[in-house]
Amino acid sequence: MKMEDVLEQAAVMQNEYLKKYKSDGGRVIGYACIATPVEIVEAAGMLPYRLRALGNNRTEIADAHLSRFNCSFCRSVLQLGLDGTYDFLDGLIETNGCDHIRGMFENWQYVNPSEFFHYVRVPHVMTEDSLEYFTNDLRLWSEALQKHFDVAISEDDLWSAIRQQDRIRAKLKKVTEMRERDEPAFTGTEVMAAFLLGTAMMSTDFEKVLDRLIEQRENHKITDIKARLLLGGSATDEVEFLEMIESQGGHISADNLCYGSRAFWGREAGESGDPYAVLAGMYLENLPCPRMFVEFPYRRDLMISSVERAKTDGVILVHNKFCDVHGVDNVQLRLALEKRGIPVLSLEKEYGATADLGRMKTRVQAFLERIAG
Amino acid sequence: MEINQQGLFDRVAKIMELIERMQYKLSDEELEGLMNFLPPDSRHSLSAFFESRFRDTSIIFLKAISNWILRARIAPEQGKKAIIVPFNFPVEFIHGFSKAYPITSEVLSTLGVVALEGQGERYWDMAMGLGLPDHICSSNTIELGSMLGSVDFKPQAIVSAAPGGCDVNAKIHEFVSHYLDIPQYILQKPPDDSERGMEAYIKYTNTLISELEEFIGEELSEDRLRSVLGKANRCTELYYELWDLHKARPSPVPNIFSLYIYAIRFSIWGTDEAITALEAMVDLCKKRLEAKAYPAKEERARTLWVYTSYYFDFPNLFNWMEESGYSHLGDGLDLFFPQPVDLSSMDTMVEGLATAAWNMPMTRQVGGESMSRQWTEDVVHSARELNADCAIYCGHHSCKQTWSVVSILRKELMDRLGVPLLILQGDSWIRKMTPISVIQHEIEEFVNNVVSSKKKTKRKLRKRRQNNNQQQGE
Repeated sequence: MKMEDVLEQAAVMQNEYLKKYKSDGGRVIGYACIATPVEIVEAAGMLPYRLRALGNNRTEIADAHLSRFNCSFCRSVLQLGLDGTYDFLDGLIETNGCDHIRGMFENWQYVNPSEFFHYVRVPHVMTEDSLEYFTNDLRLWSEALQKHFDVAISEDDLWSAIRQQDRIRAKLKKVTEMRERDEPAFTGTEVMAAFLLGTAMMSTDFEKVLDRLIEQRENHKITDIKARLLLGGSATDEVEFLEMIESQGGHISADNLCYGSRAFWGREAGESGDPYAVLAGMYLENLPCPRMFVEFPYRRDLMISSVERAKTDGVILVHNKFCDVHGVDNVQLRLALEKRGIPVLSLEKEYGATADLGRMKTRVQAFLERIAG
Repeated sequence: MEINQQGLFDRVAKIMELIERMQYKLSDEELEGLMNFLPPDSRHSLSAFFESRFRDTSIIFLKAISNWILRARIAPEQGKKAIIVPFNFPVEFIHGFSKAYPITSEVLSTLGVVALEGQGERYWDMAMGLGLPDHICSSNTIELGSMLGSVDFKPQAIVSAAPGGCDVNAKIHEFVSHYLDIPQYILQKPPDDSERGMEAYIKYTNTLISELEEFIGEELSEDRLRSVLGKANRCTELYYELWDLHKARPSPVPNIFSLYIYAIRFSIWGTDEAITALEAMVDLCKKRLEAKAYPAKEERARTLWVYTSYYFDFPNLFNWMEESGYSHLGDGLDLFFPQPVDLSSMDTMVEGLATAAWNMPMTRQVGGESMSRQWTEDVVHSARELNADCAIYCGHHSCKQTWSVVSILRKELMDRLGVPLLILQGDSWIRKMTPISVIQHEIEEFVNNVVSSKKKTKRKLRKRRQNNNQQQGE
């Protein structure tokens, strides 16, 4: 698969691979949050599909259930859940990512219940007790999956899925390193498209796509960059939004997005042990999401190290209107980054609002002029 | 210090000093003289407490609250750690320590809105000035904004019970903890209604106790805790007496008592002052019940507020409703259904604390496994028990969790009980967003067009049924 194909396939809800997978009898399980260990779904022989809205800005069905005070990303996903777009899913996994996403799942299930629905409860604080709780919760999820679909998940299956995902994580890291080069091999838009595609394919097949991309782009060099940027913030699967930033001369050399590198950074499984405990530890200890309420220093340090590693000239922090966790966290991050002399642009936007793009463009242009030197 | 740098806590404490000096019995003339000392906003809001029909009881309540504030102010001088807690944390937990004192941010914000000239807007603006988004919750941001942006009383730690129940409050606590460089201790709520969820919560409670013991430098004493929880048990009895009194038609419970009940719960529960105030409230309601006293000609609608009320204009909400014949049967913050704590051992008492925290408003409802299930169950139960004709959702814009599922609540209430739900929009602590006149208008329209016509339809149906029965009998 070439980069153009990746961009094309990442821009649709059901890519060609997924359609074939479904027509061959494969099962697809939807999930929303990076705290969901996808290894359990893959160990059950199913495809974990990360819910997305891809910039869909229609919310009229969802608005009868969620309110205008709920984030528009969640309303967009709910819209797709209720208008039939997501009917190809064989099951749904809820996580308590944030209050809006909980509401999104709850209304979806109230109006149009999925045949298989399970709630994975992710603690908000990392402690020994909460790790034990999460480990047991993953076990309960696995049991529910096995029972409902009449499949068996052995420890070997789990370890095999964990090792497979470890390989994916290593290759995604390689892609981000290539994006961080002085003369980058990928644009930020391309990397985001690859990440998105990876959450709608079986990892064994996605690994081949990554191998091909890495090989194709090994000697590729992007020049004529006005400024190098880190893009961070709330749920952003809008490839057009990244494209808009880069069309102004900015290069997104690093990201801290949950559809981006936040989904795999720092996660590495050990060699042995209870696979559920390994997964619980790996996901909970490396969850740089503001829904974790005592770990701001970890998120701040992670962002600063990304800025330094990717040599970015500035940071754009984005949050969807009414997103509380990122709305507040972005202020803390801005204060911490500015204290270190790192320029920051904070953007509050409506998810997928094309009418908003002009305003965003102007602000990005002004920021780039400020930092480009 | 410039006058506009004065913090909310310090300014509220000064008003509380006045209340502390107030006599228990005040004539209209004495009250008028006293109120003339206050600036217009304070005079207007505080006047709600001094309606002659419940003035004496209000003074007992206000003195209890002022005592709580003034003791918090001197707590650090007395070697006590002043700890900020949110409304959904059982304060008896902190009262159980002799070297710690709880200050509840939402109660302080509300007192600031009620007692201060300019309400809490100055402090909200201070928080906004840091770049915090305007969709965060004013209920704690007003007080915490004061800590962030003014010269104010500084607490030594924060305990947050918001994780699992409310993202926005949990984020603000984290922000303040970092900004002020004070420690934050967490009691997270697993969204898990099973026994496993409760077991985890008890573990988390025990961890919190250990952390606080270390921070405060005091081991939680079994005797002291037993004494505090014994008083909390008495508060529980009085809570249910008031609950039962609410059932009578017309309601003998003054509307503003809905607020008093949870103000007590969130600040002084488990203290002698709480018992005195609650007993005075029960006494007054019993007298009103006996005398069938009601401030309007008739009780036109019995309203249950399903989450918060509005707090920026007490006279024009609580008292106006009552005088218009709209009883306020309580709101979501009253739905904490306390349970008596078994005082026999440290373990049973700690379990009692965990249960109390689990059942605090918001935690109990939207902090559940489902955000709507327990909330709906509690509202349906309350509407049924208290004979509510209708329900009102205040639509505080920051409550994303309740806004997420209020459509489910509305449908369930209608399907199960035929009780209509009015959905308002506004900020419960900031008067600028939706003026009180608009809120009054919407409530009136709702009662006139939905609640009353529903009652008339019921009456017509009943009459038709009676006529049919008579005809069949003939």
